[in-house]
Amino acid sequence: MNPLDGLRADRRRFLELAGLGAIAFAGSGLLAGCGDAKTTNGPGTTGKDQLKALLPSYVEASNAIKPDIASVQGSNGFFSDAVFLAYPASPVTTATGIPGKGGTYVATTPLWGAIPGTSGNSYYEAVNKALGANVKIQPSDGTNYEKVLPTLFAGDKLPDWIQIPSWNMPKLGFADAVGKFADLGPYLSGDLVKAYPNLAAIPTSAWQCCIWNGKLYGLPVYYGGATFNGMPFYRKDIFDKAGINADEIDSPDKLAALGKELTNANAGQWAFGDMYGYINHMFKFPADPNRWTIDADGKILHRYETPGHLEALNWQNKLATAGYIHPDALADKSQDAKQRFWSGKEVISGDGPGAWTGDDSSSGKAANPTYNRQAFKIFAADGKPEVLMNPSAGMYSFLNGKLSADQIKEALAIANYLAAPYGSAEWLTINFGVDGVDYKMTDGNPVLTEKGSKEVATTYQFLITPLTPTTVKGGDVQATKDYAAWQGDMVKYAVKPAFYGMNVTEPAQYAKLVQPMEDTIKDVRYGRKPVSAYEEALKSWKAQGGDQLRAFYEDIRQKYGTGQ
Amino acid sequence: MTTTTATDLAEQKVRAPSNRPSWEEPPTAAGQTGKGAVLIFTVAVVIVPLWMVVITSLSPQGAVNQASGMVLVPHGITTAAYQQIFTNQLIMHSLLVSLAVTLIGTAISMVVTILCAYGLSRPGSYAHRPILMLLVVTMFFSGGLIPSFLVVTALGGYDSYWSMVLPSAVSVFNILVMRGFFAGTAQELIDAAAIDGASEWRTLWSVVLPTSRAVVAVIALFYGVGYWNTFFNALLYLPDNQKWPLQMVIYTYTLQGNSMPGTGVTNTGQYFGHQQIAPLAIQMAVVTLTLIPILLIYPFVQRHFTKGMLLGAIKG
Amino acid sequence: MRDGGRVQKRTLRRADRRRRFLRDRSLLLMVIPAVVLLLIFNYAPMFGTATAFQNYSIYAGFMHSPWSGLETFRSMFADPLFWQSLENTLVLSLVQLLLFFPIPIALALLLNSVMNNRVRTIVQSVVYLPHFFSWVLAVTIFQEMLGGAGALNQALRQHGYATWDIMTNPDAFKFLVTAQVVWKEAGWGIIVFLAALAAIDQNLYEASAVDGAGRWRRMWHITLPGIRSIVVLMLVLRLGNTLTVGFEQMLIQRGAVGRDASEVLDTYAYYYGVVNANFSLGAAASLFKGVLSLILILAANKIAHLVGEDGLYRK
Repeated sequence: MNPLDGLRADRRRFLELAGLGAIAFAGSGLLAGCGDAKTTNGPGTTGKDQLKALLPSYVEASNAIKPDIASVQGSNGFFSDAVFLAYPASPVTTATGIPGKGGTYVATTPLWGAIPGTSGNSYYEAVNKALGANVKIQPSDGTNYEKVLPTLFAGDKLPDWIQIPSWNMPKLGFADAVGKFADLGPYLSGDLVKAYPNLAAIPTSAWQCCIWNGKLYGLPVYYGGATFNGMPFYRKDIFDKAGINADEIDSPDKLAALGKELTNANAGQWAFGDMYGYINHMFKFPADPNRWTIDADGKILHRYETPGHLEALNWQNKLATAGYIHPDALADKSQDAKQRFWSGKEVISGDGPGAWTGDDSSSGKAANPTYNRQAFKIFAADGKPEVLMNPSAGMYSFLNGKLSADQIKEALAIANYLAAPYGSAEWLTINFGVDGVDYKMTDGNPVLTEKGSKEVATTYQFLITPLTPTTVKGGDVQATKDYAAWQGDMVKYAVKPAFYGMNVTEPAQYAKLVQPMEDTIKDVRYGRKPVSAYEEALKSWKAQGGDQLRAFYEDIRQKYGTGQ
Repeated sequence: MTTTTATDLAEQKVRAPSNRPSWEEPPTAAGQTGKGAVLIFTVAVVIVPLWMVVITSLSPQGAVNQASGMVLVPHGITTAAYQQIFTNQLIMHSLLVSLAVTLIGTAISMVVTILCAYGLSRPGSYAHRPILMLLVVTMFFSGGLIPSFLVVTALGGYDSYWSMVLPSAVSVFNILVMRGFFAGTAQELIDAAAIDGASEWRTLWSVVLPTSRAVVAVIALFYGVGYWNTFFNALLYLPDNQKWPLQMVIYTYTLQGNSMPGTGVTNTGQYFGHQQIAPLAIQMAVVTLTLIPILLIYPFVQRHFTKGMLLGAIKG
Repeated sequence: MRDGGRVQKRTLRRADRRRRFLRDRSLLLMVIPAVVLLLIFNYAPMFGTATAFQNYSIYAGFMHSPWSGLETFRSMFADPLFWQSLENTLVLSLVQLLLFFPIPIALALLLNSVMNNRVRTIVQSVVYLPHFFSWVLAVTIFQEMLGGAGALNQALRQHGYATWDIMTNPDAFKFLVTAQVVWKEAGWGIIVFLAALAAIDQNLYEASAVDGAGRWRRMWHITLPGIRSIVVLMLVLRLGNTLTVGFEQMLIQRGAVGRDASEVLDTYAYYYGVVNANFSLGAAASLFKGVLSLILILAANKIAHLVGEDGLYRK
């Protein structure tokens, strides 16, 4: 298993993290992007001119390695991931010498998985030795992180270094919290970052997300050059058997028309899963964490108010009431959606782009040897597709404000090491530990050994992550190539949503508007209530504060622009 | 599975010796059938899901993904899920932590609860009603998570084992139940002991406790299960995973099946060696592991449900 | 027994406090450890309740957050969603009181009447196990059995019958929830009653049987009176918990049946308090719930006294 599996982006999959005993829920409406948070102190965002002074300069890595499939430059500065089919044969070294000076730092990161032991962990030991410092990793259960974080702040128990995902920020009122952390501007802004070449090689769009209240606080966990929520996938093997050519499906209507053909309830097969979260590009409305768009007349619209959102609800509502959506999906059992897709109980299912890997094909093939996951080419109802991109970093790490200047410099030198690019010797150490102990090169790619799979977890990488290419997983080269080709096509339609990457902090009184809308949306998309119920709810949303919220954003537009 | 159990039960009914006392009338056919049907139904609705849990935990990835959920009919058996959990280097230490927390915690809780329940069980004793009020109030009012965290950390509970025990040492519910038993069952004996001039401590030790073995066993079970299964306090107060109890360690395995909010990826499964394991199999292995200690302990508790326990005490 | 208590009580009323204190000092000493633990770990954190009257921020802390008086309560009481959640809570609680509460008692009586030790042991060792399943797992099992694509509905479908939608039907949700609670908790619930049944003097049965009482009469005159005080105690405690109905169970199934059917007080406090970082609203909802619960348990206790039972304490 590649420990970087955690990094590919599907920002939406809001979770019902079905742990046993405890579950963490995030209201989907609150999966905020670049940390929009409630506060009492103004909008938290920063204007364009001020940004320029704050942002670290971008300096492309000097010793970049040529990928097997080059990144495709898309529209609006977005680009697809480069592809490496094998790890570069002679890894380069990017950081000079040992970065640390022997300091000790307790670092907390969320982890969604079995948490490895600390003592006697040869992976931790190897990385710390390479760092020349003792970074004591104390991972915390990711599903309960939202409960632990407020206690750390309130009880003044913040560690030296902590990673906080953007979706936990609204509950923290993060613009108020961020003052507890070290201002990194004096170390990284502008050309200062050149002292840390690997940090300088992280794209500016990621650093932009790390700014709150006019100061640079965060170190980004960079998701990629074209991050978005996800898309509808289909089972090519089942399509082939039914004689359906997916390339001919180029409108939502044609997609919906497959419902009848592909549903055979008696045999336990339904055409669709829950599609709602993966069709926003078809109907052109912003989806979480994006909220706002600007229509042709220049009017700011919340995603709830867009005509596309209403059409999308209507589209799924019809599928639900016609019986073309799997009953478990309508019972909100999203955590089993992958299993339903693997077993062929859902033929068309939405998922994040990160679902398309070799690991996925081996899971699917375990259930059915002919399993083949493919995605529809991007299309839209009006024939002019636009894919709204998410912020390119959705998790950030912070240094405790109590650290001294020397400690901050040491930590940043460590961060520079941790941000070593793919292809380097450091990257292998950080992600895979010790060659021959924690991992072995198999078919040109590092694969964790049994010992490694118990000791290596996504920990250091969650403090800072550089540009990460698409790599081969589970030995399935074809899945990697298919995904790369699809992504290369998709980035042509990439668009920046309004207020992109701006860390806007909404006044607290508007938070309560979200839940009633999200509840009603579920009622409608699962076919329990008619679309008219949504229109009713929208009216009261506007009356109870939605219109004021729009005015608030209008003000932001005047003062700070819209992040374009 | 259902039918097997049913037949087993029926057979045992025929073969096993009955404990029917001589004075009791023989059972009617209708009564027996009715009882049998209810019991078989009750056992079946528990056994079938239990079977699914165990089988799923032992199923290879293909079987789980094929079923796209819990597995009813096994297609291959593997212990990979258990192996993956048991080879975690934290397991042995966390098992010791859990045993210590459970034993010490249950001991403390039982002492505190028995004393308090007895102290409040005497009708008309001094201030027993205001004290009961003070107890009852805590059942309905709490300061919330953050104030509790502040109090425990202010007392040095952060990163310390006692935060696993003391904050949850007293269950008012358990005190009230035990008090109910003490007040209801043994009053005559207590009065007799008082007339004999026994001290309260002595009365509690040699009169009340021996006649209350059933409720003591039940309350000890409640506390023991509580301590054994808790991981929320560990989550809050023990940042260092070297201090974690077993439940916290195995709980983290159940997270692997969950997609992290930022990704949709981690759902595919984990490798054990070169074998991929379905997340659901690991989750069900954790459920099964949770049940085992209970299955071991429960027979000892059940022994105290034997009828006529008070007999000797009252006659003596 | 009961008369002895009353006589004793009457005498006590006349006794002066100091003498009672001296007489009961051992009893009071016994109570101290529990009271001290509760004072530290339950009462000390109750300063957090004050946040209900504040505009609380975890960064300003309890000392420095601005006071807002009754504003939080006013906006909560003005919210129709709050009243909807209270109504749902009460309805669900009532249904569970009627349909769940008697079941563990009946099961305990049934098991107690089984003479064959092995059958009894087997049944007893199995029925309590679902208590240790998480709600996520319990709901999953229900979905796989009764869901739209579950075992039952697939069988119905394949034989040409209409399907039975129970897992996503908001109108039937209260019964679904109760069925789930019965499945998961009834077996565990019998333990207390089994302990109570074990404490009944067996000689009473023999004497009664010799006097010619049949099995139903023995149950009516010996068994039920024998466990009555525990049943009443459990009922009083249950009534005190009227406003607590399965937070996790509701959270997990909210998406399946919608807010209208599944919003209860605890989920309301969660979605509008915790999720929105509105700690004050969370504290206000919990304070409201606490006051109402206390009133309910005291009223239930009073009723127990009126019908001649002890409830929480002897009258």
